[in-house]
Amino acid sequence: MKRFARLADLRFLLSAAVVVTIVLVAILAPHIVPYEPNDQDLLNILMPPVFAGGSPEHLLGTDSLGRDTLSRLIYGARTAMTVAIFASTGAMLVGSFLANIAGYFGGRIDWAISRMVEIWLSFPPVVLSMLLIVGLGIGTDKVILAIILVDWTRFCRVLRTEVLVARRQDYVSFALLAGFSNSRVILKEVLPGIFPMLVTLFSLQMGISIVVEAILSFVSMGVPSDVPAWGQMIADARIDIYSAPWGVALPILTIFVAVLSFNVLGDSLNRVLDPRSKIAHSS
Amino acid sequence: MKHQNVLVIGGLEVSLPNGHRILNGIDLTIESGRILGVIGESGAGKSMIGSCIADTLPAGLRISRGSIDFDGLPLNSVTAKSRRALLGRDIGFIPQEPMTALNPSLTIGHQVGRHLARIGFASARLREECAIHLFEEVGLDRPKELLSNYPHQLSGGMLQRVLIAMAFASNPKLVIADEPTTALDVTIQAKVVELIARMVENHTTSVLFITHDLRLAADLCDEVAVLYAGRIVESGAASTIIREPLHPYSRCLNLAAPNLSGPLRPLLILPRTMPSAAERTLMQGCEFAPRCPVADTICATQKPSIGLVAQDHRSACHYPERSGSIEPPPARTGALPDVAGTDVILRAGGLQKTYALHDWMGRVRKVEALRGLDFDVRDREFVGVVGESGSGKSTLTKLIVGLENVTTGRLDVAGHSCEDRSAAALRAMRQKVQLVFQDPQSALNPRRTVGSLVTQGLEAQSGRLSGEARQAIAQELLAKVMLPPDVIDRFPDQLSGGQKQRVNIARALCFSPRLLVADEIVSGLDVSVQAQILELLRTLREQAGFALLLISHDLAVVRHICDRALVMFKGEIVEQGPVEDVFGNPRHDYTKALVAAARGAPSSHKAAGRE
Repeated sequence: MKRFARLADLRFLLSAAVVVTIVLVAILAPHIVPYEPNDQDLLNILMPPVFAGGSPEHLLGTDSLGRDTLSRLIYGARTAMTVAIFASTGAMLVGSFLANIAGYFGGRIDWAISRMVEIWLSFPPVVLSMLLIVGLGIGTDKVILAIILVDWTRFCRVLRTEVLVARRQDYVSFALLAGFSNSRVILKEVLPGIFPMLVTLFSLQMGISIVVEAILSFVSMGVPSDVPAWGQMIADARIDIYSAPWGVALPILTIFVAVLSFNVLGDSLNRVLDPRSKIAHSS
Repeated sequence: MKHQNVLVIGGLEVSLPNGHRILNGIDLTIESGRILGVIGESGAGKSMIGSCIADTLPAGLRISRGSIDFDGLPLNSVTAKSRRALLGRDIGFIPQEPMTALNPSLTIGHQVGRHLARIGFASARLREECAIHLFEEVGLDRPKELLSNYPHQLSGGMLQRVLIAMAFASNPKLVIADEPTTALDVTIQAKVVELIARMVENHTTSVLFITHDLRLAADLCDEVAVLYAGRIVESGAASTIIREPLHPYSRCLNLAAPNLSGPLRPLLILPRTMPSAAERTLMQGCEFAPRCPVADTICATQKPSIGLVAQDHRSACHYPERSGSIEPPPARTGALPDVAGTDVILRAGGLQKTYALHDWMGRVRKVEALRGLDFDVRDREFVGVVGESGSGKSTLTKLIVGLENVTTGRLDVAGHSCEDRSAAALRAMRQKVQLVFQDPQSALNPRRTVGSLVTQGLEAQSGRLSGEARQAIAQELLAKVMLPPDVIDRFPDQLSGGQKQRVNIARALCFSPRLLVADEIVSGLDVSVQAQILELLRTLREQAGFALLLISHDLAVVRHICDRALVMFKGEIVEQGPVEDVFGNPRHDYTKALVAAARGAPSSHKAAGRE
């Protein structure tokens, strides 16, 4: 029992450390990059990373246009984090607002919102977001909007059941009997109970947003081409995949590590925040 | 006649991985055809004994010492496979919650059939015959149709009968019944207990009957063992232990339980709570010593070992003879003074509630939940409402606090008529009427502190209170329900069940209400905790001056604190009057049945079983 608790803590610490590093790198990008991400060094194109026989001038090598891979990865983190944070926050706000209304009031409102979620979910999410981009045009803000419009359903669906459970508790009846207004009951009694799930979903959504942003950039439907993004790097390097495999491998690895740590963080946050599981650990 | 021992447990010890002992030196013996009761409050470890036999100990717990011999077979040394073969065939089980013990998506026939196939009925026709025969034996009507029913189509009592039939199907040598009646209504409880007694006789089976209910154990069991903090403190013949206990704990439990006959006396309140596994492992002396009214210096330093104190009667106490000297607290001067006022606080006249159910074709079917109730509650009067589930008790509470609307009839609550349902009128009414919820686990938001919980009602009022003023009010309320002031910053999960229920009551007192509606507030609590809450309500009644409508299935509880009782049956009040009249001289057939069930039916099994 004790060893499990420690393992969970370790998972939490490790994933949190990676997440914090990625966020810091994204914020400090202009100060830590060795080169500007769009600067070309045409004498040194398709250089391998330093550990695969490259030169120390470009630590992670260069792409087919001679741009420094490390700098592009760092600026790519900036794009990924901007999109992930704003998109996840937006999806969370929209989704949990509708979830609270549906779960709390029930009846016809619940029926309407639940059916809307079901219809929404029956579209393939990536195709839907591409469709939205076609309509909206490309740009970071458009990507964020597309992800919010596609992914609020995930929050709405999961949180609605949590709200339903909380709604049935006697303490909600008591608050109503004591004369609390509906909005106050939701804010003071229902929301604290679903908060751990909210945070967990948010963390998972961060990972999903990173993936969606990468996919959209890969098919050049995401951010403009002068903004470095991980998906775009994969797309640029895929032509030279046989001569310079590192160009594809590095951004994929970065996406993998980022998404994995957000998922693990979400999973372990759920355990750390939930008072019920805390009791289970201590006994 | 020499009986053969079916189950012999010797020096059984169950420990947590950190060495803290949950059970400590348990010795139990069941002779064939006898019923052994294990009585204990929650946390005493009584269910662990059943789990040890069934090999279903929770993860992390293990048997660290001792032996379990079943019919001469040492259970803790046989292989897991042969042990599993014994379970269900030679050892049967009756679970606590009949509703969750059967798979809701399979028919009764399917599940009974599967069990019968396992115990050796090869042909399907034979299995069906056997199932029908068993169902008839446990008194189920239309057994053939039941086989094709699903569990949700049966009531809890019927399901428990199905499970009892399954447990006895293989003529097992031993049946383990873990609180088999706790989830059932009182009148059904008595029938189920009777059925178990009859099955024991028909199948010459032994039963390990695990319960928290002294009265039930006295009715059914031949021998009982009283468990406290993981140790057996007293064991012997059921009747002697219930009537003349020779351990202070058993005596205290007896004095803490309200009774249905005999003189009305205040309940004994045990101070503090049962030591936890960690505390009891560290204790030098008797586990009960810190709470024992007759403890001596030796009790705190030396553990008493269990030994014979009379014929067939063992007690683990240094001074068993002192237990008889524990007296109930002296009756208060002018016991139950007539504090009830003359003003009527709640008046119902021809009160009716009808629910309209719509089926899938849109047809409306009317269900009458309440039919023409006439009663009133005076100022500072304690009124008990008794009845089974489905009698309309909960509907009544919802109407009183205004959660639902009255269909026809009059209902005046604290001067507010049921016709005026405007938000302002409701708010004014709810300041005078407060509901105390049944389950404190669900009624207290786990993310609020105790201080914030008890003053929660104030938040809805206009005009913000300063934090200090709120703190002061919280302290005052906690003092009223006799909770220590330091619990104010704790969360509900850090409190015991009894403490939570006190917080629950304190919260309702926040507005100084004139009427409290309490829905089964002591039914989930242990005997000693229940005594604390009941005495608290009696004390509060003298100080605070509110009326109480106590909804309960336990007649003894109602008798203990209420002035008048209403008996509800199928949405009607079939009898009402002063408590002593209603329970002492019941007129309606249903009341008679209730009182008989609560008194404990004269046990036919015992008379027949002891030639």
